[in-house]
Amino acid sequence: MPIAFKQVSYEYSPGTPFAYGALNGVDVEITEGKVTAIIGATGSGKSTLIQHLNALLLPSKGEVEVLDRTIVAGVKPKQLKSLRQNVGLVFQFPEYQLFEETILKDIIFGPINFGVEPQEAELRSLHALNVVGLDESYAEKSPLDLSGGQKRRVAIAGILAIDPYVLVLDEPTAGLDPQGSKSMMNLFMTMNRKYGKTVLIVTHDMEHVLTYCDEVIVVDKGKVILKSDVRSFFKDESLLVELNICPPKVVDMRRQLQKAGMKLPDDIFDIESLAMAIAKEVNGHE
Amino acid sequence: MNNIALGRYIPLNSIMHRMDPRAKILAMLGMLTAIFIPTGFIGYGIMAVIIISVVFMSKLKLNFLIRAMKPMMFMLVFLMIINIFVLKTGYVVVDIYGFKIYSDAIFQTLYISIRLMLMIMITTILTATTKPLDLTLGIEDLLAPFKRFKVPAHEIAMMISIALRFIPTLIEETDRIMKAQASRGVDLAEGKFKEKILAILSLIVPLFVSSFQRAEDLADAMEARGYVPQAPRTRYKQLKRTWRDNFMLLIVLAIIIAMVALAISL
Repeated sequence: MPIAFKQVSYEYSPGTPFAYGALNGVDVEITEGKVTAIIGATGSGKSTLIQHLNALLLPSKGEVEVLDRTIVAGVKPKQLKSLRQNVGLVFQFPEYQLFEETILKDIIFGPINFGVEPQEAELRSLHALNVVGLDESYAEKSPLDLSGGQKRRVAIAGILAIDPYVLVLDEPTAGLDPQGSKSMMNLFMTMNRKYGKTVLIVTHDMEHVLTYCDEVIVVDKGKVILKSDVRSFFKDESLLVELNICPPKVVDMRRQLQKAGMKLPDDIFDIESLAMAIAKEVNGHE
Repeated sequence: MNNIALGRYIPLNSIMHRMDPRAKILAMLGMLTAIFIPTGFIGYGIMAVIIISVVFMSKLKLNFLIRAMKPMMFMLVFLMIINIFVLKTGYVVVDIYGFKIYSDAIFQTLYISIRLMLMIMITTILTATTKPLDLTLGIEDLLAPFKRFKVPAHEIAMMISIALRFIPTLIEETDRIMKAQASRGVDLAEGKFKEKILAILSLIVPLFVSSFQRAEDLADAMEARGYVPQAPRTRYKQLKRTWRDNFMLLIVLAIIIAMVALAISL
């Protein structure tokens, strides 16, 4: 079941002086079962792009294929609920969408809306609460009493409890401390590796792209200008310069050492193998 | 949500956009007064012609103004129904099995709807051609003479400008929360009554929470910069009145006088 954009354009406020084309002919296919990073400058159209995935925005031109559905420009789709159940979208700063008196009630809100039986929904919600790293003692607390990072976990649990097939996240680590963002990214890895979900993450953090993602999509001025697997993306130095992207620290260090004359292989992507390679090179000289 | 026409500034370059905001506010008040003078259909017809020509002068599209009136339609229908039941004077227009609709009911409704439409057009012209900030500067200046009667002109202007500043933010926020909840299966269009209530709650609670948060943050930010309402301050933007503004006010005055004369002669 593919997720594909075919010549998709989207215009905000069409026909007014405020009309603004956010997407201009996007053509891309998202690989299933992988973690895909969507990167691009602010205002390049990343958020607009992902909102097409569960039909919150409908294309002005072109068509979007999501799982078993095809959304064609100009045709009003019906039964969006089933689509939204299959594609879980977590907005930026999702902690602002909490509204119930207790955390459990808030998490259960999604599954109940999608018609899951109350008992099953409660089981799922408690499970989701565990998955995001909060124990059951939180279930009866008010979501408004939590810290910012915990609130975000609860909000994400609210989407996980729906048990979507595809998980889409808009800058899930924005504003979190390094420890918090690391465990957040690990959570999405678990969702992918253990539960087999297709994960899409909008991010600005190249370290995250390198460490956690399989593929990368670059959005620029409302177009997808590149789709590549993460490793060959970071290997291509001239491409990164052209796109004005600062490479992750490991890649950068390897490159500087190479420039200084050290012979290192190009496919080093983590600190351990870099250390090994340097050790090997240094020992070889002695 | 981005298609709300009422009260929105439209950045264009027209003679109306360049007018002094104080003069525009006074002219609007003058025109509203003129609309309230009971001059019958002839007077309203003349007013409509004048107002529509002002719309063209301000380069606004007529359908933008029509969209601005849409939210009012419900009220007009409501008004019509009340008038039909309450007003029993004039001659009988329709008689349905003894239920009589009188001419005055229809005329009254027409009068009021035309008045309301003209008023909305006038105020929309003002808000569409004047930047919110200029509008508040204008209000502050116009209220300045009342300071000696302890009218807090600056505070009122500040409150209005903050309120106006946050309208687009709130619209954006509402849009965002609606989408976030839609992703959680909220459907405002369908569903049972109880579900709809919950759906609205899921929108309003987060909106309130974040609005209070924003208000608190803004208050802190203002305090951190040492904001004192009574402090004497100069302005970066100086309002300038030209002969055009005086001319516009003269025309408005002439319109009021003409309408009064028309009302007396009828």
